[in-house]
Amino acid sequence: MIGRERPRWLAGAMKMQNTIRTALGLVAVVALAIPAAAAEKKEFRYNVAPGTSVTVVNDYGSVRVRASQARQVVVTATASSSKVEVVSAHNANRVEVRTHFLQKAGESDGRVEYDIQVPADANVIVRTATGPVLVQGVNGDVSVDADTGKVEVRDSNGHVRARTVSGPITLANLKDSFVEATSVGGQVMLNNVAGKNVSVNTTGGPIAFAGDFAGGGQYSLSSHSGTIDVTLPASASVDVTAHSVTGSVENDFPLNPPAHPTMALAQGKSLAGTSNAGASSVHLRTFSGRIRVKKQ
Amino acid sequence: MTCADFQRVLPYIIETGGKAEEERHLRECPICSDLVQDLRYIAEQAKLLVPMEDPSPRVWNGIKGSLEREGMIKPARARGRLLGPIPWMAALGAMILVSFGAFLVERGRQQQPGAQLDEQPPVVRAVSLNTIATEQDDEQLLQHVAAARPASSRAYESNLKQVNASIAEAKKTLQQDPDDGDARQSLHRAYGQKAMIYEMATRSLP
Repeated sequence: MIGRERPRWLAGAMKMQNTIRTALGLVAVVALAIPAAAAEKKEFRYNVAPGTSVTVVNDYGSVRVRASQARQVVVTATASSSKVEVVSAHNANRVEVRTHFLQKAGESDGRVEYDIQVPADANVIVRTATGPVLVQGVNGDVSVDADTGKVEVRDSNGHVRARTVSGPITLANLKDSFVEATSVGGQVMLNNVAGKNVSVNTTGGPIAFAGDFAGGGQYSLSSHSGTIDVTLPASASVDVTAHSVTGSVENDFPLNPPAHPTMALAQGKSLAGTSNAGASSVHLRTFSGRIRVKKQ
Repeated sequence: MTCADFQRVLPYIIETGGKAEEERHLRECPICSDLVQDLRYIAEQAKLLVPMEDPSPRVWNGIKGSLEREGMIKPARARGRLLGPIPWMAALGAMILVSFGAFLVERGRQQQPGAQLDEQPPVVRAVSLNTIATEQDDEQLLQHVAAARPASSRAYESNLKQVNASIAEAKKTLQQDPDDGDARQSLHRAYGQKAMIYEMATRSLP
């Protein structure tokens, strides 16, 4: 029995160790409790009529807007700190959700994450600075402005307008849309985007288009110094013109020369031709950026 | 007083009446008296013309045609070529001005104490209509962004620089070949991008 007894110094050390463990545990609980208290989650629900407009104004956090079957707008907002609050209002056919700064706050403590469900026919307007934006499945008019935030609009067939200063823009699976995408320095990617009027414009941001230019529409992709890459299948029915003032134009897509050229063609700087019935008009323009047309 | 002396001060006399010496000349000189009478009649009739609508474009075209036939003015060539880049550059400049104006309005609003928490009416500042956004305007815009949205400040600075470079590049090409339609389109788009930067920088965020 005596042999199994702990020495006094060891018992003291163990007691000390337990005290430290308890203290560390308390610190951990407190540390976990602080962000839990700071990150406030709010939910707003509004019954809305067809064609309601939903406006979201947020500086830093992400905004995700998705279409749902219900005739409701459901806003779930999570504020990162008590320095910001979410203000939401429903007036007639308009829902407005806005981040409101109660104190000066930066990107980490001024962040609010929005997850919003809207009826598919809603019109959506989002304005952010750095936060990413996703709008999915909305068939009303969609307008998104962001400074550096990434903008993504997909699975829609309304009027889509996306503008950024340097944030990348991705538009995917848009049908029968009227599309305007403008970025100064951000990349603009379009995958399976079709409509009567599709217009993309950048200064230095590269433009990438992959799709068949369906719908017999007018497609205009232009950049000052950014590259334009177009990838289209052999089945595409297009009437293409491309020109770069000081850059180059490369093509490996089989095009029939135009019967009545509308522009003077210079080798390596411009091209014009049709494929199949030439249903859609495609204009590719750069000042100094390289243009490349490729077969899928 | 001679007729020449009288007619030199004629506008003043018609507006406010003349001095004794001028009144005397008016009474004594039938030529100057008739002249003043005619001018007063024209002034009265002109007042009646004010509410009238402008003549239709057909009237102006008729006048233009007559002047051309009489050799008073040269017939216009293709409009775009005759006017050159200046009018549409002015139009593009106006686009930027609108955005710049919005910027000044927004900045004026933000300079109001407590503007962020309490909605204040915008303070409209005078904007010169003869200038497009200058380097100084750009600098002010960047200062505004740095204060209002510091996280976006660097992006605005580098992209504004990029747009200005693209404007300069397209302008240079256009000066070398004013008939280069694609360079002109590039310049048009570059101005559009600059207008967008101004608009984006001044839009309302939290």
